[in-house]
Amino acid sequence: MNEQNRPDAGEEQSVAATPPAEAGSETGGPTVREQERPGVLQQILGGSALMSVLAVVLALFIGGLLIAFADEDTREAATYFFARPFDTISAGLSAMAEAYVAMFRGSVFDWQAATFAGMVNPLTESMVFAVPLILAGLGIAVGFRAGLFNIGAQGQIIVGAIGAAWLGFAFDLPPVIHLLAAILGGAIGGAVWGGIPGVLKARFGANEVIVTIMLNYIAVYLISYILKQPGFNPGRTGQRSPAVSPDATYPLLVPQWLWPDNGFRLHWGFVVAILATVFVWWLMERSTVGFQIRAVGANPAAARTAGMSVGRITIITMVVAGALAGLAATGQVLGTERSLTAGVAASFGFDAITVALLGRSRPWGTFFAGILFGALKAGGFLMQSLTSTPIDIVLVVQSLIVLFIAAPPLVRSVFRLPDPDRRRRRKADTRTTQEATA
Amino acid sequence: MKLELQGITKVFGSLVANDHIDLVVEPGEIHALLGENGAGKSTLMNVLYGLYDPDDGQILLDGAPATFRGPGDAVSAGIGMVHQHFMLVPVFTVAESVALGYEPTGAGGVLRLEEARRRVREISDRFGFQVDPDARIEDLPVGVQQRVEIIKALSRDAQVLILDEPTAVLTPQETDELIRIMRELKESGTSIVFITHKLREVRAIADRITVIRRGRVVGEASPTSTETELASLMVGRSVSLTVDKEPAQPGEATFEVEGLSVVAPTGTVLVDDISFDVRAGEILCVAGVQGNGQTELAEVILGIEQADSGSVRLDGKDILGTGVKERLRSGIGFVPEDRSTDGVVSSFSIAENLVLDLYDTPPFARGVSMSPAKVTANAEQRTEEFDVRHTSVHDPISTLSGGNAQKVVLAREMSRPLRLLVASQPTRGLDVGSIEFVHGRVVAERDRGTPVIIVSTELDEVLGLADRIAVMYRGRIVGIVDAVGEDGTPVSRDVLGLMMAGVPLEDAQQQAAQHRSVLGAADLGEEQA
Amino acid sequence: MRRVLKLATAGAAATLVLAACGEAPSEEETTAGGGENAESSEDGEAAGGDAGDFKACMVSDSGGFDDQSFNQSGKEGLDAAAEELGIEPVEVESQADTDYATNVSNLVSQGCNITIGVGFLLEDAIQAAAEENPDTNFALIDSAFSDADFNPVELDNAKPILFNTAEASYLAGYLAAGMSESGTVATFGGLQIPSVSVFMDGFADGVDKFNEDNGTDVNLLGWDKEAQEGAFSGDFENQSQGQTLTEQFISQGADIVMPVAGPVGLGAAAAASEADGVHIIWVDSDGYLTASEYSDLMLTSVMKEIGAAVETTVSEAVDGGFTNEPYVGTLENDGVGLAEYHDMAGDVEGMMVTGPDGAEMSLDEAVAMLEEMVVSGEITVESPNSPQQ
Repeated sequence: MNEQNRPDAGEEQSVAATPPAEAGSETGGPTVREQERPGVLQQILGGSALMSVLAVVLALFIGGLLIAFADEDTREAATYFFARPFDTISAGLSAMAEAYVAMFRGSVFDWQAATFAGMVNPLTESMVFAVPLILAGLGIAVGFRAGLFNIGAQGQIIVGAIGAAWLGFAFDLPPVIHLLAAILGGAIGGAVWGGIPGVLKARFGANEVIVTIMLNYIAVYLISYILKQPGFNPGRTGQRSPAVSPDATYPLLVPQWLWPDNGFRLHWGFVVAILATVFVWWLMERSTVGFQIRAVGANPAAARTAGMSVGRITIITMVVAGALAGLAATGQVLGTERSLTAGVAASFGFDAITVALLGRSRPWGTFFAGILFGALKAGGFLMQSLTSTPIDIVLVVQSLIVLFIAAPPLVRSVFRLPDPDRRRRRKADTRTTQEATA
Repeated sequence: MKLELQGITKVFGSLVANDHIDLVVEPGEIHALLGENGAGKSTLMNVLYGLYDPDDGQILLDGAPATFRGPGDAVSAGIGMVHQHFMLVPVFTVAESVALGYEPTGAGGVLRLEEARRRVREISDRFGFQVDPDARIEDLPVGVQQRVEIIKALSRDAQVLILDEPTAVLTPQETDELIRIMRELKESGTSIVFITHKLREVRAIADRITVIRRGRVVGEASPTSTETELASLMVGRSVSLTVDKEPAQPGEATFEVEGLSVVAPTGTVLVDDISFDVRAGEILCVAGVQGNGQTELAEVILGIEQADSGSVRLDGKDILGTGVKERLRSGIGFVPEDRSTDGVVSSFSIAENLVLDLYDTPPFARGVSMSPAKVTANAEQRTEEFDVRHTSVHDPISTLSGGNAQKVVLAREMSRPLRLLVASQPTRGLDVGSIEFVHGRVVAERDRGTPVIIVSTELDEVLGLADRIAVMYRGRIVGIVDAVGEDGTPVSRDVLGLMMAGVPLEDAQQQAAQHRSVLGAADLGEEQA
Repeated sequence: MRRVLKLATAGAAATLVLAACGEAPSEEETTAGGGENAESSEDGEAAGGDAGDFKACMVSDSGGFDDQSFNQSGKEGLDAAAEELGIEPVEVESQADTDYATNVSNLVSQGCNITIGVGFLLEDAIQAAAEENPDTNFALIDSAFSDADFNPVELDNAKPILFNTAEASYLAGYLAAGMSESGTVATFGGLQIPSVSVFMDGFADGVDKFNEDNGTDVNLLGWDKEAQEGAFSGDFENQSQGQTLTEQFISQGADIVMPVAGPVGLGAAAAASEADGVHIIWVDSDGYLTASEYSDLMLTSVMKEIGAAVETTVSEAVDGGFTNEPYVGTLENDGVGLAEYHDMAGDVEGMMVTGPDGAEMSLDEAVAMLEEMVVSGEITVESPNSPQQ
């Protein structure tokens, strides 16, 4: 456990060959070695909200170009580009505009709908898709803050889904209690699945990236095994469990008696997502546990020297992350799908990584990133069906967002922004110099 | 080659890092660039090495203006640089490291390692470096790694060699060796720019000294100037180089270590059956070359490292077997050796760093809920008390200079009622002002009747602070000597240096009388002056 | 932003420069062709009637329309119908199981007159939409409808399009057993769902039938019809899983493999191409044409004429003749069948076997005779997974 601290004399000295943050590195002038790159994670998490917004804008723009190139009219016009270039450009622009207008109509407000409920329905759809993204994203974010690359949200969602669904259909409990029990079942399922890599890392130093990826596979096969078991497999299809009891499903957020014929699928899972966001904010910023999580994430050695148990915090973090991912599963199992299906987790666990990155692992950042991705997802459906734009464009846009977030200098150079790191360094320099002379 | 810098100016935002600096380095000269951390020495050298574009001024090589667009240009113009943190790949051999960047290739781009090996051997023989071209970097001691860096620069025909704080990582003996090498190089016509803030070294080695303060050249000095003169020039006011302290009034031995051993999982014995005690109101300095078990000793006392046998008793109670948190809260103050790795969480605010130990106790927390207001109030009070120069306690601690960050660590560790203070390398990398402050605080803690253990590789610090000195070598305590003998004379630097190489006390005293080291001689010169 | 535009223009120019030297069409043409809606309504008018306002929509399952299998066949059917009838087709791909409901309801609210779900997995989404929108028509390929307790139900406005593929794969099993030199053939599925297992049941029976007629002992790997257990790759996407499974079959001596797993079959073909003398029986569409990179490996294909069924269903709906009566493709109505032997025709014709009537004949004749016997009802191919009629 203490290998790093037990080098023999020779090794100890050779450590200096790799440039650690040593003596002078934090003092004094702007030397080259001070520009040592911070960890990728630190760098991404340290970015500003502005960078996130710009990354999204840039990704949408490039996505738009791809839409234009994928558009048949544009390509046709391009064959005589040099004869009449304006045709190509206008065709491209109109394809881009049509696609994004459709996406807006599918995700925010559809002014062509017959009723007002129909007009705002897209926004509620975005929120529906945002529920699992927000919750799983929060789980990933907590892990990131503790310096853990939890790639296992997918598996945690699946196991959470199994727990929530089982409690939802196999038991008969009073209304409210049944729902709470099913929600808790989802959280516990996810917590167990998240706790395993936590314990393995804390006790044996197993790399959480590898363990969580492997646990994702196990979860995928676990759910297909479970769906073949008699109690879960009434249709003998191996694809779908019995439906969750109505008592255990999230009630609709906008009930029919309040707004007749609204047709919204938006359910109380969204409220759970808001509450979870508030909880994670409190946990990270105001609780002693969060203080330790952040300290361990930023500098485990210093945390240990200050008397914190890094292993204990690793386990707690992974359990919390897993529980949040398990809650994400309830959005599907108790909200929209209302039964356990083999594909219930879709790719939420992986999209959630993007959501957490875009949200800079801050609770509210993750919340809004989740809504944005929910909107991309909801809008993508209408974009595809209205304009025949390939749905894969949405994936491309999401991937580009990650790309740009991981490469802030690229975004800065496109928008000609100054490097904030340099500014900060200069500030520090000024102070140091003044001090030296004080 | 004659190197001239004329009116070099480099501005970062509102900060003028270099303000019309003129510097002339004659061929075959060792030119010391002396200045505190943050004075602009490194900026100047990075301009010279092509890493920064100067905003004004020019570089002349043998009278001809030169522009460097990057280190490549500087290297081909004959300028070599050895950074404080070596740019070496641990798993490479010496020959591979030297070849890295200018790989000699044969037909078809095949790396001709034999060629690199030959050059390493040639340079090594010429200057008596004793470097094996096939040794792996990670197996080499720091001093030898530094020589590899020098070979690397020389193999690219460097005529001006910049050494950035080269002695920071060396033992006294290794420093001696470096000084010898620098003189050899000088003989062969290589000019050396020697960046440092250590006055003793400057006086021992340099031909000429340029002192920089606040980005400006504030004067030239000759090696015959006294340390006090140099220090005043460097800091801009008169400074006290010695630690002001009354003789210790030691009480009972409240901290005892007996038969303590630490064995690495690999079987290497890191701490080998050592016993000592520290009395209340006394400073025990643990001296020794880096990597001889002092780090592990300090870590065992805190509980980060596990002991394999022996006992560690504080106020009569064996504390082995209790956790780090318990020990901290039972009154151990711990200043870790590597501040940025173990001492602070650099992305945390100053305020948060000040409660890294007591974050979950009242008044900072009630249950699991923390009270930001109390954390802030505590920070305001502590930073005031410890003179931490800062803008806001909510700024990340990474915005502080090393000295101020170390004050934060001290403020935190001294905020609990202490029964024992353990500080490893408490002034490493700090400027003169901060060193004074830290030393003052440590002495004050002693005078309050706390037993204090200082682990230091800097002999100046050991000699200045210690009431007693324990010298460690290969995990054992070679001997424990009083800092000031019964006859009132301080223990000699050479004796300690020899003990640090494993020579028992009495032999060391005899040998020291016969042979004086370079810096030891400089010591004497100081006394005579 | 200027820089972005610069970049983008440069990229666009580079991409298009080769193709961009064509001549511009005359001014009138461009104006006439502008706007998608104008175009389609124009076409619609040309076709006559009110077909121009008819919207026929389709949602794929997570395999996507380019799966070289039943999603693709469905899309081709819809495209053909649209071409012929001059109606507007809308085709929407799903990326995950959770997308189905939203995709279907989106299409409905967009005014689709008929919405076709491709695949068993869309059952719930189509069913829910059909119940909510009694005035719109739906069709579901490869599955009937059932209630929450999985009892079959009938919906007034939704038509199941089913295929008794056991009949065709029965022929394929017979053919495979006849062609196998090693005496071992194999099959595997994507997921264990009825529309997949039904292929494997028929295949198993066909192998048995050949053994019975010829007194041989051709062994089938990958499916036990009695126990309803066998080899499945786990999804319809992971080609390497199909490759691994097929490699295992080959190492156990199989020389003819029938993958019933959509695009996963490409993995099987890849494994077969590595081995000597191993052939593939494709399913759903004619693999000789759709998976042309492996056409030399294709012994035949068990065809499920999804395209034709979709085309029929859509044209019925356009003509106002939509019924909720299930369409069941059989050998008799050419809804299922074996594809041509293409390059393998010579080998199949040259193989002499004992036919179903006990006489010596070539294998292609034997298969043709068997087909007649199934069509005439002399032989019934039974499978617990066959669509219930």
